[in-house]
Amino acid sequence: MTAIVAVKDVGKTYTTVKGDEVVALEDISLSVQKEETVAIVGPSGCGKSTLLRLIAGVEKQTDGKIERSTDDGRFVVGYVFQDSSLMRWRTVYDNIKLPLEVTNKHNYEKIDQLIEMIGMKGFEKAYPIELSGGMQRRVSIARAFVHEPSIVLMDEPFTGVDELTKEALQHELGTMIRNLHATAMLVTHDIEEAVFLSDRIFVMSRRPGRIVEEVPVKLPAERDPSMRSRLEFFEAAKRVREKLLSIRAMSVDLEAGTP
Amino acid sequence: MSRATIRRRSRPGLAGYGLPILSFVVGIALWELICRVFKVPAFLFPPPSAIAQIYFTGRIDWIGQTLVTLNEALFGLVIGVAVGFLIALVITLSSVLNKILMPYIVALQVLPKVAIAPILYIILGFSNTSRILLIVILTFFPIVINTSTGLTDVDRNLVHLLKSLGASDRTVFWKVRLPNSLPYFFDGLKIGVSGALVGAIVAEFVSSSSGLGFLILNSQYTFNTTAAFGAFVILTVLGLVLYAGVILLGRRLMPWYRPN
Repeated sequence: MTAIVAVKDVGKTYTTVKGDEVVALEDISLSVQKEETVAIVGPSGCGKSTLLRLIAGVEKQTDGKIERSTDDGRFVVGYVFQDSSLMRWRTVYDNIKLPLEVTNKHNYEKIDQLIEMIGMKGFEKAYPIELSGGMQRRVSIARAFVHEPSIVLMDEPFTGVDELTKEALQHELGTMIRNLHATAMLVTHDIEEAVFLSDRIFVMSRRPGRIVEEVPVKLPAERDPSMRSRLEFFEAAKRVREKLLSIRAMSVDLEAGTP
Repeated sequence: MSRATIRRRSRPGLAGYGLPILSFVVGIALWELICRVFKVPAFLFPPPSAIAQIYFTGRIDWIGQTLVTLNEALFGLVIGVAVGFLIALVITLSSVLNKILMPYIVALQVLPKVAIAPILYIILGFSNTSRILLIVILTFFPIVINTSTGLTDVDRNLVHLLKSLGASDRTVFWKVRLPNSLPYFFDGLKIGVSGALVGAIVAEFVSSSSGLGFLILNSQYTFNTTAAFGAFVILTVLGLVLYAGVILLGRRLMPWYRPN
């Protein structure tokens, strides 16, 4: 197995405007194998998004190292954000085209293929303001896959989407990851989302963020909504939930202990 | 889902304009009525009918005077917009130049700019340059502030996305910052067009022998209040046309933008 990303003893410390040092991440080690989907679950403010930015290379870690490998020697990420973050001045087609432009790839037929996959044929020329929230998410997902990235990083991709749309989108995303043989890393605070989409789940503690548990998801690679009621689904979800609850209990104790 | 579900929001129909038009017509009629009933002298407050007639007396070259003012306003506006846009670029691209220029920009902004009009013409003489300069000063500031906000206030995720794909600052500028600033720029331009007319009139008050501003000042000396009102009407129409022009141009260039 080849690790696409190997994070080794990584830490990140920020200096605030006042000059205080804030440790956002500490001793993070994990790897993501080729064609694997890994989820990171943790309380808000635990540094999950920071970890994604480090892997993307947008920010630099203060400790440890991140090894990135690829088949063609070029490490490129795809990014899905909490809010779709589309360019409002671009049409659906041109929004999806963006990563191809920036990376100088010209396989524009991929755009049509993805528009087809997200079920938005006929909307190529629509602007983001003309789309529903769910449709905007679909476009931002297509944008993350169009340039065949080494890894797709997803930062709470379905926050603020209504429950039914969310389940449909999760199913579509899972299918897309599998069909495109993509490698993905998902950051979320939604336990069911993590279980449904990933092969392994890392549970992170409150700041400073550390990995406190690794939970394998023993479901078949091919996922469909019926699996949400399988025993393995519940087992994985239960383990993640219990760990998260214990983290919370710990921090409540700490708060209660301070005068 | 059909294409019809994303049809652009329709504009308000004629029904929405009914009340404002009625209000305007009734107001004009009342004005005329009051002037006639109380026999208000025209030099105190002319009735609409007298104002309408003033355009046809042949004593004033209305078209010529209007063109003088409009020319100044547009010329100053164009320069002001260009200067404003350049300054916005400079202060967003270089934080050092930003800090160097900021005190001057802020000082110019808090100063009521028409106050410098009489002195501008001591410095630059009784010339077009001093008039244009006043208009430039009045128009460039909203462009600077709005455009620089638009260039800086971008979706950080988009910047991260481009950077993660290996994009340079230049690419981020062209693909994110510049298009993002467009609606902000147009908001500045809306303020700029009214500033341009104010500038043209004030400049003519202090240093001119033609234009609508000069005509108004001259009407004051000759108690020809009706002519002044004639100029007010033209200025109102000019203001409306310029403002509407900016809005239409904005819609043309930004079909993707919907002001809230």
